[in-house]
Amino acid sequence: MTQVNDPVLSHLLASSREVLEAMVGRSVTFSLPIEGEALRPRSNVVGTSAFTGSIGGGLVAFYTTLETAKVLTATMLGIRETPVDDEVIDAIGEITNMIAGTLRTKMAADGDLWAVSIPTVTVGSDFYTKCVRDVRRVLCPLKIDEHELFIELIVASQSKAA
Amino acid sequence: MTRFLIVDDSSTMRRIIINTLNKLGFDQTVEAANGREGIERLDAGVADIVITDWNMPEMSGLEFLRQIRAQERTRDLPVLMVTTNAAKDDIVEALRAGVSNYVVKPFTTDTFKEKIDAVLGKPTP
Repeated sequence: MTQVNDPVLSHLLASSREVLEAMVGRSVTFSLPIEGEALRPRSNVVGTSAFTGSIGGGLVAFYTTLETAKVLTATMLGIRETPVDDEVIDAIGEITNMIAGTLRTKMAADGDLWAVSIPTVTVGSDFYTKCVRDVRRVLCPLKIDEHELFIELIVASQSKAA
Repeated sequence: MTRFLIVDDSSTMRRIIINTLNKLGFDQTVEAANGREGIERLDAGVADIVITDWNMPEMSGLEFLRQIRAQERTRDLPVLMVTTNAAKDDIVEALRAGVSNYVVKPFTTDTFKEKIDAVLGKPTP
């Protein structure tokens, strides 16, 4: 476990709360972030957005199961029927985009203007992401009602990036 | 009835914006997936107000905005930008390009109403 005393991590958690509570209209509950590679979430849908800033380059990743992704999508779209795959991919991409964009705005307010990429979304099963460089990974578990989701901050070592 | 052109590459965001407009009593909406499609819709004369994203493929919202301001027929059209780009430098850049107002994602219905009222010239309560 890791304490939330890192300003980037703190901004990421605040950004995730703002976006998810506004988009889904439910309270978000966070557990303590987990540092390192030890635990990886079981997820079928992963949205990622890359960034570069004074802390180096990295990724913001949003993990969810397909079932939860469909619930989030239907809520965002205001529909009762089960959303189709393209709708789910677009909605998870938009959530990822908003979380990364809100984080960028908070970093800019601290005087650090980041560049953030458009999001990509991976959908499937039995896969996991592994970084090929020396990175810091912090996984942040959160819950919306009974649905468990994860936000991850992945930051490449600046010395390696140089 | 006010007609809205919604330009965003995300179908999710277009739906969220349309749902929000419907809640506010506006039901005349046309969609486009990027700035180039937006220009085509405006050439067909479909909108009284444009709501556009910033980051889009083919033609960004900023370039779309500059083209709107460069054309005699659309020069004075109200344009509301809905984006996550909310750093001070971003807002200055959008204002310089001629945006009428700015909504930061994620937004609430109340915030959206306030911005729509502002571009329509309605007094705030």
